[in-house]
Amino acid sequence: MPLSSDIRRWSDALAADPSSRVFLPLGEALRRGGQLDLALKVATRGLQRHPYDADAHDLIARVWSDRGDVERARDEWEAALRCSTDHVGALKGIGFLCFVQGRVAEAEQFLERAARADASDEAIGAALARVKQLRPMASADVDGSDVSHPMPSARPATARPDPRHLFADLVSSGDQVALMLDADGLVLAGAYFSADGRDVAAEVGAALTGVSDEARRAMRHLQLGEWTTITVETDAAVVALAPAEDDAVTLVAAARTVPHGLVRRTLTRVGERASKWLAESDRVGS
Amino acid sequence: MTPSVSGPAPSGALSPFAAALDALARQRGVVGALVVSEHDGIVVDANVHTGVRAPTVAALAASLYRKARLSADAAGLGHASYVELVASHGRLCMAGRDDTVLVLIAEPHAASGLLRVAMLQALQAVP
Repeated sequence: MPLSSDIRRWSDALAADPSSRVFLPLGEALRRGGQLDLALKVATRGLQRHPYDADAHDLIARVWSDRGDVERARDEWEAALRCSTDHVGALKGIGFLCFVQGRVAEAEQFLERAARADASDEAIGAALARVKQLRPMASADVDGSDVSHPMPSARPATARPDPRHLFADLVSSGDQVALMLDADGLVLAGAYFSADGRDVAAEVGAALTGVSDEARRAMRHLQLGEWTTITVETDAAVVALAPAEDDAVTLVAAARTVPHGLVRRTLTRVGERASKWLAESDRVGS
Repeated sequence: MTPSVSGPAPSGALSPFAAALDALARQRGVVGALVVSEHDGIVVDANVHTGVRAPTVAALAASLYRKARLSADAAGLGHASYVELVASHGRLCMAGRDDTVLVLIAEPHAASGLLRVAMLQALQAVP
C-alpha cells in the first residue's frame, strides 16, 4: 500500500516535471486512499498532457467507477481501448461493468480478451470462471446476444435484479466483496467468490454470523450501547460487519491492501443499499 | 482525569506487561488496557480506570476475540490478528498472539487508527 511519503514524493516529482507520467501512481494512490476528487483532478490534468495514454483513461475510469458513475467509467475505458486495443485494465473494467449490469455474455467476452492479453493475471481467471459459472443461470438466450435482456414476456414487469449483484457496483475495485446475511447467517444478497471462482458466500456467512451474536452479548454486559461495526483483520483480509434491519448483518471483506478507511466507507454504502433493498422487499411482499 | 487501577499483578512486583499497558492506557480516550488469557478469559494484568470491571471486560473480550478468530479461520480468511468492535457508547479493541490477547476499552471518540497502531506495537513488545 502506498505510504503518505510515496504520495509526497510523487507530488514533488509531478510539481518538478508536470509532463511526467508519475501522475498515474499518484492518482491511483489517492484513489485507493478514498481521495476521489483529488485523484480525478490529478488524472484529468495528466490526461490533458497525455491525451492518448490508455493508462490515464483507465485511472479516470476507476475513479468514476468508485464514485458509482458507471456511464462515465465505461466511456473512459472505451477511450482507453481506442488508444490501446488490448489494454487489460480497460477490458477488465468493462467486463466488470457488464457483469454488474447483468450482461453476462458481454462480460465474458471482455474478460476473455483480458485473459488473452494477460494470461498471468489470476484475478482475471477467477473473474472469468465466475462469469462462466453464472452464465448458464443467466442465459435465456441461445443466439449469443445479450443475456440480460430476454424477451419482455420472459420476465415479469415486477422482476428485480439478481440479489447476488446487489452490491456489485459498490465493490467495483474488485478486491472487495459484500454480503447481507439474515439473523441465521443465511445469505440475503451479495456474492463472495473464492480465487477459483466458487461462490463461498454461504460458507463465509455461516462462519461469521456468530461474531455479531457474540458482540451483542458483550455490549449488553458492558453497557456500551448497540454495536455499530466490527472489524476483523486476518492474514488474508479485512472483514467489516454492521447490523442491518431485522437482525440482518452486512459484511464487506477486502484484501489487506485495501485501506481500512475505504473498507468502512464501502460498508456504509453497502448498509444504505441493504436498507433500501429490504424496505423495497417488504413493500413488494406486502 | 479518572484514576487508574492496576492489577492483578501483586504489589511490588513489576509485571512484564506493565510498560505496554501503561503506554496503551495513556492513549486519548482509553479507559482500560488489559492482558487477557484467550483460553479462559482471565485477566493476566490490567491498567483500568476506576469503575471499569476488568474481569467482566476480560471475559467478554476474550470470548469475542476467540469467536472472531475461529470464525475467520472457518471462513478460510486466515488467522485473525486484530478485532475492533465499535458501539454507540464505546469501543473495544483486541489484538492477539498465541493465547495472549491485548484488550483496550475506549470512549467512542477515541481515534481508532491510533489505537490500532498502538495495539499492534504493544503486542510486539509483549513477552
